[in-house]
Amino acid sequence: MANKVLVLGAGAAGIQAALAEAAAGNKVYVAEHFPSFGGERIPQDKIITDGDGFSSPDLAAFKSSDNIEFLRNADIQKLVGDNGNYKAKIHCRTPRVDPEKCDECGKCITVCPIHMYDDYNESLEWRTAVDFFDSGSGYYNIFKEDMPVCQRTCPINLDIRTYVGYIADKKYTESLATIRERLPFPLSIGRVCPHPCETECNRQYKDEPISICFLKRYVADYEINKDIEPRIYTPEENYPEKIAILGAGPSGLTCAYHLARLGYANNITVLEALPEPGGMFRVGIPEYRLPKAILAKDIEFITKHGVEIKCNVRVGKDISFDDIKKDYDAVLIAIGAHNGMSMRVGNEDAEGVFEGVKFLRDAGLGNEVPNKGVAIVVGGGNVAMDVCRTGLRVGFDEVNLVYRRTRKELPASPWEVDEAEHEGVKFNFLVAPQEVVVKDGKAVGMKCLKMELGEPDASGRRAPVPIEGSEFVMDADTIFGAIGQVTDNTIVDKKAGFTFGRKLNFEVNPKTFETNVEGVFASGDAATGANIAIRACAGGKTAAESIHKYLRGKK
Amino acid sequence: MCTGRVDPALVADAFVHGADGVLVIGCYFGDCHYMQGNFMAKHKLDMAREMLEYAGMNPTRLQFRNLSSAEAANFAKYNTEFVGQIKELGPLGTGDKTGMPKLKEELQIAHKSLAGPKLRWVVGKKPVFIDDARGNKYGEVFTEHEIKRTLSGIIIDEMATQSILAALEKKPTAVKDLAKELEITAPDTLKYVLALKRRGFIEMDGVEGTSPVYKFKSAEGGRC
Repeated sequence: MANKVLVLGAGAAGIQAALAEAAAGNKVYVAEHFPSFGGERIPQDKIITDGDGFSSPDLAAFKSSDNIEFLRNADIQKLVGDNGNYKAKIHCRTPRVDPEKCDECGKCITVCPIHMYDDYNESLEWRTAVDFFDSGSGYYNIFKEDMPVCQRTCPINLDIRTYVGYIADKKYTESLATIRERLPFPLSIGRVCPHPCETECNRQYKDEPISICFLKRYVADYEINKDIEPRIYTPEENYPEKIAILGAGPSGLTCAYHLARLGYANNITVLEALPEPGGMFRVGIPEYRLPKAILAKDIEFITKHGVEIKCNVRVGKDISFDDIKKDYDAVLIAIGAHNGMSMRVGNEDAEGVFEGVKFLRDAGLGNEVPNKGVAIVVGGGNVAMDVCRTGLRVGFDEVNLVYRRTRKELPASPWEVDEAEHEGVKFNFLVAPQEVVVKDGKAVGMKCLKMELGEPDASGRRAPVPIEGSEFVMDADTIFGAIGQVTDNTIVDKKAGFTFGRKLNFEVNPKTFETNVEGVFASGDAATGANIAIRACAGGKTAAESIHKYLRGKK
Repeated sequence: MCTGRVDPALVADAFVHGADGVLVIGCYFGDCHYMQGNFMAKHKLDMAREMLEYAGMNPTRLQFRNLSSAEAANFAKYNTEFVGQIKELGPLGTGDKTGMPKLKEELQIAHKSLAGPKLRWVVGKKPVFIDDARGNKYGEVFTEHEIKRTLSGIIIDEMATQSILAALEKKPTAVKDLAKELEITAPDTLKYVLALKRRGFIEMDGVEGTSPVYKFKSAEGGRC
């Protein structure tokens, strides 16, 4: 049997290599990103020549060789294997013109209404969307751009162009249905998302980006305000397998929603440790950013698809992980990251020092929280901003935020910072906490050190350097640490054999969200470490697809 | 005649020949004997109105109304209303963005664009492309907003292209002179001219100083 050879790229070198291999008796596949071979040797100024500008003997041989198969519009997506045994995954985009039927009349070019920059001529000219590329073969091709930049940036790849377009058409229900094909939380995400899509939006180069996030909120609110009954999707097929999802947060519920749509409705059980479902949407994001009643609407929409949520069930205490694994065909761990990280300063265990996330959780669930006197919040992320602003709302007289770099380096969203400042949070930049000052076993202040910015570090931010002898004490009744969260991995036994990452997160295959234990998947903060909500939802969706593939493949 | 047969070019032709207003009256939506003739008319006339407005005409001069043949009173009412509006505006060239005789030239160019194949293809496919159940050949459905945006872009393109062709038909011209004459920026004019050359509508006539001069190729245009 002849060897099969894959050549990537059909430029001058690629064609020569292909010819050499074909001459040696191998079957050659040539994959080229563009619709034509010959690299940049194609004449630019003619529509179709009679072969005069294009008569390289190499190209003629390439075309006529039986052993060469040319894959145009082809991009290589994956290459695995070893010497002598490679497997390549190649994605061929459709040319949208049937070469069998096209008789090269050229009329399409004269009438094509879409003009675009000509990528062959480095965008100096315009060309039409339909064009010939290969004057040798006469193949025509319609160029259609790939995913728009906003959709590519969105972790869950929401079809933003379509749903925003529907809003422009005043087709609000269609718009919402488009969003819900991927995301079951339009109300919540429309309120809290830090919208990376808008940061990338091409419109910003003209005036300002499209308000993608609030447009989503608008269509979702429209449904509530007009009392429209949301359409429940019923799958065509139903499968008998039972699936357990640990954690009713953004990721777990998105996964449940998609599994229900895939045909596992009424066989999905979501176990939630807290008394209310919603995860970080409920206990991480304060009421003023995401009202609980609004979140409840989103959750109601998900449960209507045949998802059962059992609250007050803490895995490892009320039910053991092994039992769950025995009772269900597949398990998803989406328990989030609800434990605060240590500040690594002295006397951190003193009375009056709290984890920021625990404070937010208690405030969210309506439990008793510290609320007297002066508070210090350590950290500069969005959680720190939430803690500061919630702190002012529950009754602290003064909230001081301590961050060791400057305002420019704050990782929190700028609008959150502005609002926090507006509400009266006091920012202390270039201040690093050293030690909690303790009196009678109770925290009474924080010993801090002033900093200055030095050289940029590995993350590209300028690293703070302490100023010698600049220690001072900041008085406080309560101290909150909000410098990151880790996952509570004690729900599983050590014997279960999971591997954990730096943030105690479950290590997963980033493509499938499968853990190293068979039949167990993990997504959301529990897999990626603390991250934004829409990324957790995206993980849940991918996990749902993987679980579906896993269960269907097992048979 | 079914309003679906009212070609945008016919409307533009009426204005070129001095009509001060055109009122198209069709059946009620949903009452069409040919299912969607009046919908097509609306799509076409909306496009024609946008084109003529871009050419400098007051869009009030072209209107579309729905009536049934049993509503004589309403027919009279609509006509009186329309005639009143046009009387208020005055003859073509007054009450418009562009005055005569420039408006007539622009309308002639608009007529050419509307009679050409480009806009007709897009506007003809519009109802199919925005239909959830149909979409294009690949099942891709477009939002109305998207098609409208595309159409507006094509209108600007077509007006520029046709005015360049009209100017070159009169006499061969260099790009910089064309740009000055047509009040389009020079880089854009160059791109339009190169695109026209690539598509076979014009060709190079010679070189004048340092700039190439282009001339109109043939009435047929394009490669056949």
